[in-house]
Amino acid sequence: MKEPLISVRDLRVHFRTYAGVVHALNGVSFDLYPGEILGLVGETGCGKSVTGLALLGLVPPPGEVVGGEIRYRGQNLLSLPPAQWQALRGGKIAMIFQDPAAALNPVFTVGEQMELVIRRHRRMGRDAARRQAAEVLRSVGMPEPERILETYPHELSGGMQQRVMIAMALSCGAEVLVADEPTTALDVTIQAQILDLLVDLKRTRGLSILLITHNLGVVAETCDRVAVLYAGFIVEMGPTGAIFQAVKHPYTQGLLAAIPRPSRRGNPLQAIPGTVPDGLQPPPGCLFHPRCPFAWDRCRQERPALLEVADGHQVACHLYGGEAAR
Amino acid sequence: MKVWEYILRRLLLAVLVVFGVSVVTFFIARVVPSDPAALWVGPRPSPDQIAAARVKLGLDRPLYIQYFYYLGNLLRGDLGVSIKTHQPIVQDLRAYLPATLELVLVGMAMAVFIGIPLGVLSAARRNRLLDHFSRLIAVAAVSIPTFWLGLLLQLIFFGQLRWLPIGGRVSIETTLYQPIQTVTGFYLVDTLITRNWPAFWDALTHIILPAFTLATYAIGLTIRMTRSTMVEVLQEKYIVAARAAGLPERTILFRLALKNALVPTLTVLALSFVYSLTGAILVEVIFSWPGLGSYVTSAIINVDFPVIIAVTLIVTVFYVLINLVLDLVQVALDPRVVLK
Repeated sequence: MKEPLISVRDLRVHFRTYAGVVHALNGVSFDLYPGEILGLVGETGCGKSVTGLALLGLVPPPGEVVGGEIRYRGQNLLSLPPAQWQALRGGKIAMIFQDPAAALNPVFTVGEQMELVIRRHRRMGRDAARRQAAEVLRSVGMPEPERILETYPHELSGGMQQRVMIAMALSCGAEVLVADEPTTALDVTIQAQILDLLVDLKRTRGLSILLITHNLGVVAETCDRVAVLYAGFIVEMGPTGAIFQAVKHPYTQGLLAAIPRPSRRGNPLQAIPGTVPDGLQPPPGCLFHPRCPFAWDRCRQERPALLEVADGHQVACHLYGGEAAR
Repeated sequence: MKVWEYILRRLLLAVLVVFGVSVVTFFIARVVPSDPAALWVGPRPSPDQIAAARVKLGLDRPLYIQYFYYLGNLLRGDLGVSIKTHQPIVQDLRAYLPATLELVLVGMAMAVFIGIPLGVLSAARRNRLLDHFSRLIAVAAVSIPTFWLGLLLQLIFFGQLRWLPIGGRVSIETTLYQPIQTVTGFYLVDTLITRNWPAFWDALTHIILPAFTLATYAIGLTIRMTRSTMVEVLQEKYIVAARAAGLPERTILFRLALKNALVPTLTVLALSFVYSLTGAILVEVIFSWPGLGSYVTSAIINVDFPVIIAVTLIVTVFYVLINLVLDLVQVALDPRVVLK
């Protein structure tokens, strides 16, 4: 097996609020390999976005990383001097966001914004940076890149804006792209184009992508592997095919059952009963047990660890044996 | 929409505004119970003298005829003469207006260069020590009485330290040995143009205390305004995106965020600029600065209406122009704003 590019181990993020400490991430571990798309799925508030931001060291206050490791090429980013991590940001590790209209600065042209980023990471003059910007724009399928450089973000469509974001992210030779719900705000047809572009970039550039989404359809179409996040903890992880065909964890089963299907027309939609646990007081034992139809005594006392049940397919559930996590 | 077309249209509208203000002030001046003719001839006049003055000033004619004469003179650039001093008002303004403008402009520059950076850093270090410190400064700056601050600064920088002069635009030595050739009436500019370095230095040291005293209020406003808009802007997604792109914090704050946060601050500054044209009276008195504020105040005390009307018109023109400039600046800063 190849060496992972990004390796996250036991990542814990807390938010200190007036009401108390919110446990946003409770020991997240995963690897991202070169040239793969890893899907990170889960409900709103499960910690997907925080995980993405943590990879760039941008957990917003009052949140803070309280434990664990984030390794990039073996180097623990959390112990890196801030200036060095800043140089990696937008350089080797880049990020794109859910709403490209909000993620682009409204009062600067596309060209001005791209130039700033390029000249931050590459030693080059204005003109060279501009040529580089035009070239990257062309490589993400933008027609007339020179004209696009002169436009302001509000003059572009949502799909074009997201392409600009992707171009900006790739303009300095990124190896890792954190894509936080990159298609959620877009029309379905544009969504498909952006996803195709991401898959294409993976193939042609060997880009590694952490694709954060709540849309299992997006996962099925684009991801090589999937990690299912529940209440700040990965409950199941494995190759996309295995997750969809040999689903193990009761939570993932619930998620898949909740997808509306034409064949079930006329029947009520399946929903997972209960709500996401309170981050202030996570339940003891398995975080999912209050909503789990199969919960038994052990689930209420011990938190299950992520264990391999098939080749590359891991699940954290007492139904599949194994020992408790700490 | 062409920018020039827009400016032209706004200027035409401005003429209407100035005309309206001239009508209102002119008629208010005439309904207020006071006798300009009696004022014109001075203390203890005879009834004949007053009657003669009334004819001379045209006060015996119908009000609307008086106004048309006034308007005719105005269009030729003649603002009339002061009833009290019999001096042409244009001549007075040529002396007082540049003095006030210079003082106010230096004060506004101080507000920009002190207030905006403090506001930006305050927002960036929200609820930390620097923020508390700069908010304290902001509250103090808007609440300290001008006369008290002016006197205090004079006590410290003139009385104790002897670093800066106590008042006036230049010292007597300069007037005697390095006389300033008037070109624009702005001493800092005139001395630069004529390379009169000692006089430039002298004028500079004279303007620091009064300009700072005048600026304190604007500094306080600028800090608060900049801070509050910056706090909002810093929560925008594009700031997170800029950080994710590895851009340095300095660039993010003072370039990417500030350009989004500048318009409210500039609006407040512009309004306080126009207010200071006549509102700087306390500063002018304390620092014996020969400005518009003291000029119009003595005119008000003497019921010297031609002067009051003239200054009102001048201030109106500045209001209208500043508003136009503000709108243009807003368009320049934000491409989403369209001229209509």
